[in-house]
Amino acid sequence: MGITALLVEDDARIREALSLALADEDIEVTPAVSGEQALELAREQPTDVVLLDLMLPGVDGLTVCRTLRDRGELPIIIITARSDTRDVIAGLEAGADDYVTKPLVAGELAARVRALLRRRAPQGEPPPEQLRVGELTMRPRHGVVTKGDQPLHLTRTEFRLLLEILGGRGRIVTREELLHRVWGYDYFGDTRLLDVHIRRLRRKVEDNPDRPDLIRTVRGVGYQSPPP
Amino acid sequence: VTGPSRLVARLLPLPLRWRVAVAFAVASVLITGLLALVTWSMASDYMTDQRQQSAQRQFAANSRLVTSALRRHPGLDPHEALLQLEYDQDDTVALQAGGRWAVDGPLTDLPTLGAVAARRVADPADSTVPEVVGGQRVLVTALQVAPDARYLELAGLTDLGHTLAFLRTVLAGGVAAGVVVGLVLGRWAAGQALRPLTELNRAAERVAAGDLRARLSDQGDADLTALAHTFNRTTAALEQRVARDTRFAADVSHELRSPLTTMVNALAVLNRRTRELSPTGKHALRLLTDDMARFQQMVVDLLEISRNHAVDELELEPCDLAELVRHTVTARHEHAPLRVAQPPPTVLADRRRLDRVVANLLDNAERHAGGVVLVAVSRRDGRARLEVDDAGPGVPPELRGQIFERFTRAGLGGSRDRDTGSGLGLALVAQHIHGHDGTVWVEDRPGGGSRFVVELPLAPRPRP
Repeated sequence: MGITALLVEDDARIREALSLALADEDIEVTPAVSGEQALELAREQPTDVVLLDLMLPGVDGLTVCRTLRDRGELPIIIITARSDTRDVIAGLEAGADDYVTKPLVAGELAARVRALLRRRAPQGEPPPEQLRVGELTMRPRHGVVTKGDQPLHLTRTEFRLLLEILGGRGRIVTREELLHRVWGYDYFGDTRLLDVHIRRLRRKVEDNPDRPDLIRTVRGVGYQSPPP
Repeated sequence: VTGPSRLVARLLPLPLRWRVAVAFAVASVLITGLLALVTWSMASDYMTDQRQQSAQRQFAANSRLVTSALRRHPGLDPHEALLQLEYDQDDTVALQAGGRWAVDGPLTDLPTLGAVAARRVADPADSTVPEVVGGQRVLVTALQVAPDARYLELAGLTDLGHTLAFLRTVLAGGVAAGVVVGLVLGRWAAGQALRPLTELNRAAERVAAGDLRARLSDQGDADLTALAHTFNRTTAALEQRVARDTRFAADVSHELRSPLTTMVNALAVLNRRTRELSPTGKHALRLLTDDMARFQQMVVDLLEISRNHAVDELELEPCDLAELVRHTVTARHEHAPLRVAQPPPTVLADRRRLDRVVANLLDNAERHAGGVVLVAVSRRDGRARLEVDDAGPGVPPELRGQIFERFTRAGLGGSRDRDTGSGLGLALVAQHIHGHDGTVWVEDRPGGGSRFVVELPLAPRPRP
C-alpha cells in the first residue's frame, strides 16, 4: 500500500529530487511550494504525513505546523536546514512529531515516515483495556484519555508516549526505551525530541507542569509514573 | 631599559622580579656596608685611643706613687709598694726593686717581664703600639723609677678586643640583615610594579588557551592603561575575526545543504537504476556516490564544528558513560569489544555531542587504523576515562597534536584515495571534549597500534 505525503518545500530542485527518490520508497509525494498552498492541500486531499520545510516564504513553517496541529492529529515531520537546538525545539513545540535535518536522504526519511505511521497502528502485545493513574484514565484501544471527566486531546505521538510511561506501572522507563518504542528507531543520542514531547505532554496532563507528578523525571535515566 | 639593568640582565639570567630584588640587595649592601665601615673605623679608633689614654694616665699616676714611695722608703718591699696602686683586673703591674720582683695581674712569668721591662726602659718611645706578651695583647709601659728599680705596666686589651669583636659582629649582622631586607623589599616592590604584568600574563594565557573573551580590567595607572587598551583591542579584534570565520563556515555549509539534498536524492534515484546504465556510466556513478558521501559528511561536520556555541549551549545532564558508549558501539560497530570497569563512571555531558565523540573515535579507528581493537571505560584519578584502541601503525609523536586539528589526516597523503572522512572528525572530538572541560590525546597502545584517550570530569554525586 502506498503512503501519500505532502511535501512543503520552496526549493524546486529539492522538491523534484525528493519526489523522485521518495517515489522509489513507495511514498507518493504531493508537492506544495508555500505554506498557504500546503494548508489548502492538506484540507482538500487525504494525506498520511506532512513533510514540512521550516524555511518558507510567506506563511512560515512554524505557523503551518501550528495550524495543522490545531486542525488535528496529522503526523508532521519537519525538515530543518540546521540542527540548532532552537530550530528543532521550536518546530517540535509547534506540534511536529519528528524532525530531519538537511541534507536528508530519501531512504532515511522514508524509514522515519513508516515508523511514524506504524505507531498509528501499534503491533505486538495488545495494550491493556484501561490504565488509571490518579485522576488520569487511559483507554488505549479507544484512543481516549480523560482527566477527571474531561477528555484530553493528545496527538498520536503524545498518546503513545503516555501509554509507554503509564504502562511501566511505576517502573522507570529509560529514554532509550521510549525513543525506540515511540519513534521506532535509535535516535543517535538526541534527546531533544523526547524532551519536547514530554514537555508538551506534561502541559496537557499535569496539574502543575513545573512540578510534574504523573510523569516524573529520573535524572539521567528516564521517566517514571507513580504506581497505579 | 638602562645600561646597568641590561648588564644585570646579561650577567644574571633571572626573572625580572628577582633581578630587581638582587639590585635592591646590592644597593642595600653598599649603603649598610659603607655605614658599617665608617662606624667601625671611627668607633675602633676612638675606643683604642681611649684605652691608650687611660692606660697612660694610670701608668703616670702609678709610677708617680711608686717613685715617691721608693724615695720615702728606700728598700721598701716591692709588694708593699704595689698595694697602693690602682689598676684593672686586666692589667699586670710589676715592680723590680733591688733584684726582687713583685707582680700582680694575669701575666706572672718573671723572665718574660724582665726582658720586656729591660727593652721598654731602653726604648720608651712606642708605648702606644700593642704587642703580644705571654699570649696576650697588651700595651706596655715601663719606667726606671729608682736607680735599682723598674716599674712595669702591661695594660690588657682583652676587654677592648671583646668589645670591638661584639661591635664587628653587630655591624656585620646589620649588613647581612640589610641584604635580606633589600631582597625582600625588592621582591615585594617588583611584585607590586609587575602586578599588572601578572594580570596581563594571565589574560594572555587565557587567550592562548583559546578563550578569546579574556580582557584586562581598566588599570588606574596612565602607564598601564595604554597597554591594557591595546591588549583588549587586539583580543576583541581577534575574537571578532574568529567569530566571523566561524559564521562564514557555518553559512557556507548551511548554504551547501540545499543543493546537497538535491544531489543526494537524485543520486539515490540513479543508484536504483544502475541496471539501465552502461559499465562506464556505472563506474562514474560509483565515483560520484562515494565522493558525495564524503562531501555530505564534510558539510555536516563543518556545520557542527562552526556552530555558534553561545547560541547552541551544551545541554548537560548526568550520563552513564559506559551506557552511552555501549549504545554507540552496538549501533555502529558490533564487533568492537567493550570493557567497563565497575562501577561505571557518570559524567555531566551533552549526550548528542558525546555520542558524536565516541562515534568519531570509532570511525577514525575504522578508517585510518585497521579497526577498533578494544573500547574501555574506567575511572582514573577522579576522572572518567574512555580509551579506544586500534590496530593501526600508531601515530608518530610529532603528529599527535596535529591530528586533532582540522583537515589533517593521520595517514597523510597516501591513504587519502580510499578515505571517506571529512578531515574534521578528530577536530570535532577535540572541540566537544574541550567544551566538556575534558582532555583528549593519543598515545601508543601497549602491543602496537594507538590508543585514543578521553578524560572527562566525573559528575557530582546524584542526590540519593
